[in-house]
Amino acid sequence: MTNSGKVDSTRVDSYLTRVRAALRGLPDRQIDDILRELQGHALELAETKGVDAALRSLGDPVDLAKTYRAESEIIQAECSGSPLVILLGLRHASRSRTGRFLGTVLYVFAYANVLTLWAAAADKLFSPSRTGLWLTPGDWRSLEWVTNGNPPAGARDLLGWWLIPAAVVGGWILRYFIDWVARWWLRRYRHSEGVSQLVKRAS
Amino acid sequence: METNSSAAASQTDKWEIQVRKGCLEMAILASLWSGKLYGLEMLERLEQDAGLALSAGTVYPLLARLKADGLLESEWVEADVVHPRKYYKLTQPGRRRAIEMARIWMRFSAAVGGLLSPLLKEEL
Repeated sequence: MTNSGKVDSTRVDSYLTRVRAALRGLPDRQIDDILRELQGHALELAETKGVDAALRSLGDPVDLAKTYRAESEIIQAECSGSPLVILLGLRHASRSRTGRFLGTVLYVFAYANVLTLWAAAADKLFSPSRTGLWLTPGDWRSLEWVTNGNPPAGARDLLGWWLIPAAVVGGWILRYFIDWVARWWLRRYRHSEGVSQLVKRAS
Repeated sequence: METNSSAAASQTDKWEIQVRKGCLEMAILASLWSGKLYGLEMLERLEQDAGLALSAGTVYPLLARLKADGLLESEWVEADVVHPRKYYKLTQPGRRRAIEMARIWMRFSAAVGGLLSPLLKEEL
């Protein structure tokens, strides 16, 4: 038990411990900064209005931590090149649960296409006769993308070894585009929603 | 009948809360116009000067957002105080944003005020 001024800070410490636990995953420096501010607020207010009023003004510790976490993850995602960080940000970037789910699924689906392109480039290296863009001469409708499988009978490989640079570059372009769209969406969400969602989360 | 009137009063209360929430960002920026404040001081200022009784759990994350957006900057002050205080002040973009918001608010308020004044006259 610690005492600060005339206030018994045990309950404040316990409150902050719960906030800290719910903030796990954010950078330590950021967590320390948040907790220091909340502690200063709680102890100063407790001296005049009591510990109950001080903790009531901060609200539920888990909800408060969730608000900080959502905000932090969106801001980090807005300027990150890491798919994982962007994905974490997208989990918060919609008013509705359905919107958040759809955003996340779309991002994962788009990234799966990037990985498919890169996997095709790698497959072409190791099994060139089983990976390619196959076309039966004279029949454009027969165009078929095959990765590590048996090519259609009589078909020829349209790209040949060019598939490797095309898939690698195509994958990078697609990845850049997906990340750009995701970050644009995050910025748009945060600015168009303004403070309303933030306040709603905190209320 | 009584149920209807209490439901209407409840709707009005909700509307008032939404209006207050809508001007929260502007109110925070405006409270910092004349100098730096720390969180608790800002909450008291907003309540005394603007009648905005806000919870700390609402204002602190909002301050973090405004800081991340480059509208505020903060510094810790530990000397001569019992508890460390994180003071916030407006940056140049923050001052510009505050002015823009104040202009929009005043224009909007004047326009809507013209629309509403006949209602209030009639009530009197």
